[in-house]
Amino acid sequence: MNVPGPQPTDEALAARAAAGDEPAFEGIVARYHARVFRLACRLTGNEGDAADVLQETFLRVYRSLGSFRGASRFGTWLYRIATNAALTHRRARSRRPAESLEAYLPRFDASGRHAATPAQLQVAARADELLDRRVLAEKARAAIERLPELYREAFVLRDLEEMPTAEVAEVLGLDPATVRQRVHRARLMLRGYLGDLVGVKS
Amino acid sequence: MSDVTCARGVELLADYLEGVLPPELSADLEAHVLACPRCTAFVASYRETPRILREATAAELPAGLEESLQAFLRARRR
Repeated sequence: MNVPGPQPTDEALAARAAAGDEPAFEGIVARYHARVFRLACRLTGNEGDAADVLQETFLRVYRSLGSFRGASRFGTWLYRIATNAALTHRRARSRRPAESLEAYLPRFDASGRHAATPAQLQVAARADELLDRRVLAEKARAAIERLPELYREAFVLRDLEEMPTAEVAEVLGLDPATVRQRVHRARLMLRGYLGDLVGVKS
Repeated sequence: MSDVTCARGVELLADYLEGVLPPELSADLEAHVLACPRCTAFVASYRETPRILREATAAELPAGLEESLQAFLRARRR
């Protein structure tokens, strides 16, 4: 029986790739390309740009392998490169300034009580039941696109890629409290936006 | 009796869900949400928001993505 040996760690592959071992580099690409592509789709809003970001990311990884010192996990280091590549890519494209999502933040009365009723406040939770899947996919991408850049990165990494807050903080070079605050603001805007899609302002 | 308002509760929510709020403040927030149908509804939709957007933005991998990427990188390494 052919029993496969244990998979090399990312760090071991990276060390071999840095020493010029081509199959080791290809192993890194095989291991991470799908995750980087999905992240790039979410950060850029479309697959064409994501494919460019994917290429750029692995080129940068290849050229920087010698400078990977193992201060962070290899995956964290690679995600940082991918996030920066997506950011550079977005900035290189001229785009209309996105209309703000601030209008979707929750509203309160003078005593600090929610202005909307429980039924109105609840409805965003059912956006995926109430909307056509394709419509929701398109609107979701558009909404993430409209988030302020600082919030978008933190939200995509934390909530869409489901990375722990501490790791997002490392990728973005922020402290965890700032990450939580940015993710929170993004969630608040997107929650209100989902409700609005279903026709309820809350 | 907790003196957390809805507005204050919303401010604390992310820290609460990550378990980084001081225990006393967590207890105040929980007491407010339990007693407030608006906040109960708000918290439910706040918690569902990441899941809904995660599922809605889950990209299919294009066919041949890895092969074309590996070929692109091989050409650049020469």
